[in-house]
Amino acid sequence: MTYRCLLQMVLLLCFSTTALSRNYSLLRFQQRRSDTVCQKLLRQLPSTPQHCLEVRMDFQVPEEMRQAQQFQKEDAVLVIYEMLQQIFSILTRDFSSTGWSETVIEDLLVELQGQMDHLEPIQKEIMQKKNFTMGDMTVLHLKKYYFNLGQYLKSMEYNSCAWTVVRVQMLMNFSFLKSLTGYLRD
Amino acid sequence: MGIKKPFSCTNSLYIMVHSHEGGTRGIRNPPGPDEARPRSEVWPGHYQLWPRAQSSVLCADPPARGGCRQSWPNGQCALRLSFRTSNNRPPKPYSDPVTPRVSSGWLSASLLFLLLSGPLKDLCKPEDMKVVKDCINITRSFCDLTHVWVNTTDMYVSRVVGFREKAELVNCMGSFFLESDRPLDPPEFEIVSFTNHISVNVKFQSIDPRILSEEELQFYLAFIEEHAGNSVKRYQPQITGNITENFNYVIDKLIPNTNYCVSVYFEPKDPRKINRSPLKCTLFQPRRESESSESATMGGIITLFLITAVFISTVMILKRIGYICLRNDFPKVLNFRRLSVWVFPELPPLEKVATVEVIHINRKKKVWNYNYDDESDAENEAAPCVNSGGYTKHGLTGRLCPASTTSASLEDCSDPNAEEPYLPEPKGDAETPMAPGPGPWQSEGTSGGYQTRGTLRQDPTSEEDSDSTERSEGRIVFNVNLNSVCVRALEDDKDSEVTLMSPSRPEETVVLEDLNETESSLSVASEERTQLPFTDPSMECLRPQDAPSDQSDTSESDVDMGDGYIVRQVNLKKFN
Repeated sequence: MTYRCLLQMVLLLCFSTTALSRNYSLLRFQQRRSDTVCQKLLRQLPSTPQHCLEVRMDFQVPEEMRQAQQFQKEDAVLVIYEMLQQIFSILTRDFSSTGWSETVIEDLLVELQGQMDHLEPIQKEIMQKKNFTMGDMTVLHLKKYYFNLGQYLKSMEYNSCAWTVVRVQMLMNFSFLKSLTGYLRD
Repeated sequence: MGIKKPFSCTNSLYIMVHSHEGGTRGIRNPPGPDEARPRSEVWPGHYQLWPRAQSSVLCADPPARGGCRQSWPNGQCALRLSFRTSNNRPPKPYSDPVTPRVSSGWLSASLLFLLLSGPLKDLCKPEDMKVVKDCINITRSFCDLTHVWVNTTDMYVSRVVGFREKAELVNCMGSFFLESDRPLDPPEFEIVSFTNHISVNVKFQSIDPRILSEEELQFYLAFIEEHAGNSVKRYQPQITGNITENFNYVIDKLIPNTNYCVSVYFEPKDPRKINRSPLKCTLFQPRRESESSESATMGGIITLFLITAVFISTVMILKRIGYICLRNDFPKVLNFRRLSVWVFPELPPLEKVATVEVIHINRKKKVWNYNYDDESDAENEAAPCVNSGGYTKHGLTGRLCPASTTSASLEDCSDPNAEEPYLPEPKGDAETPMAPGPGPWQSEGTSGGYQTRGTLRQDPTSEEDSDSTERSEGRIVFNVNLNSVCVRALEDDKDSEVTLMSPSRPEETVVLEDLNETESSLSVASEERTQLPFTDPSMECLRPQDAPSDQSDTSESDVDMGDGYIVRQVNLKKFN
């Protein structure tokens, strides 16, 4: 009986390892594509950052975003998922003062949601391990950063320049996401 | 005139530069993004800015302060960023028509920039915007920023200020996010014209991986434009999988004898910044003659192959069914190649053939109570007698059984109380031929002596059959299993046979209904007769298997057929 269970456990472990490996490769491809699409959509939102220099604000960008660091693929998954979730939350706010196309915003939201759906199974599996890693620290820093963005928009009453500044931040976020995607390797 | 300190927040932030007298040089306006212009060649990885006329608000000061200065009053100013992906061509100065033309003096400009995500400081402070050292008081229209703008994931805000003498002529700003704003130079490609299509081979290995990574290649698809006359057709090839070197695309459905020009470019992140490659043209002229010869050759080869295949398959089928190359595996006896066979042919053994007529008789089945116990008295039972030859005999009727016999069954058969003949159960076919008997009928006339002779009771179920002697009409037909018939060669007992042939005896006809089986069984019986001659005529017995129910009395008569066979003829008195 014991040996039978042991064999099943070994087979299950091998299978799960194989499945996860294949999922990381697929995830990388999907995330890379999603990042590119989102950047293209963001570029379609017109803005002139040079005209909103005086309303800039220090959002306490995490140091991990400023300087390249090494990430484990599990940490990269957690960070990517958190960023997508936060960006999704920001884009659902009031952008009527910007004159941006609602279709473009909707496409962005759809793309973000789709990518989160792809990441969610692996993200939950990693969370169940309950090991405190560097990814958890980065996630905490990101939470603070996006909170500042939300508060900034709110304080600026969601005006055009505030959204312009946030848009620039999102462009930078997707650049960071592209670098994190490179860590999703087998 | 030297460089002035930048103004405070109440003025535009720019740096004054010295001006030169003489000449009519000025900043020339570059053409629009969609206009054809000479391809600028830049050192790989170098970033250059071209001032471009475009309307924009250039001043960072709030209008209320009055410090906002307009740009060039009659023109527009904008900055344009360009990249270069190839590594083999030196930069060339950019030249464009001057609009507007500056009448006098030199125009020199300087480039400033700031990093949007940099440390948040007072914008008016000079540290906020950095001046590019190599782009101070320049008279050229471009500035190399390769080693200045190194952060590709950040937003750069740049400003170009141009002066002539003391007049500010140019003051334009722009923002650039390098990762997404850099236009991708088109890849190198080759086109080859075939008989029915044009192949476009795009060389991806010429792309600087710092500009476009291998994985990004899949997302920035190369567009291929086909120009034929005045029509332009655009293709978007689907790049699947990892393609890092060459990518081949086929353009078909082309019009013969038409000049086709192809241009390749990457899908830009900014739709306004398409950077097309120069056109490469070829005349599509399908080669009909060579094509026809090639097609004829191919057709001939295919036809020859088909003919060969059909021929081979036909031969195989014929061989398999034995129509050809039949195997000659005759048995040795059929091998006539031996000389001895021809010289001394071996004659086949002669077979004795006799004609027998068997008449089927249905009789009531009699259950034989065989008792194989040695102590059992077979005389009291209708047990078959087994002689030394291995035959089993059964007495038919009391009249037919011989008087003297050593066999118990014969005594049983001679039992006058036995009204029913001891007929064994027929086996199988009712038309089993029966041997002509010298057997039981013969026994009637043997020297051993039958007590009686009479008619063979054919119908055991009928009381009337027992009185068959009274019936002189009809024939009795019964089946005799020749395999169970005791037949002996009567060469030693010819007298008895003759006795049997006496006409005083009523004739008995035994009709063999199945002559074929009769012959075989007779042959067997003949062999048996020759092999196992009976010395005791009393041992001869016939065991008819079946007897038709409609047969009654019979009269017997024997006919010597020769070779030891005697045909027993039984005439039925009553025949239903």
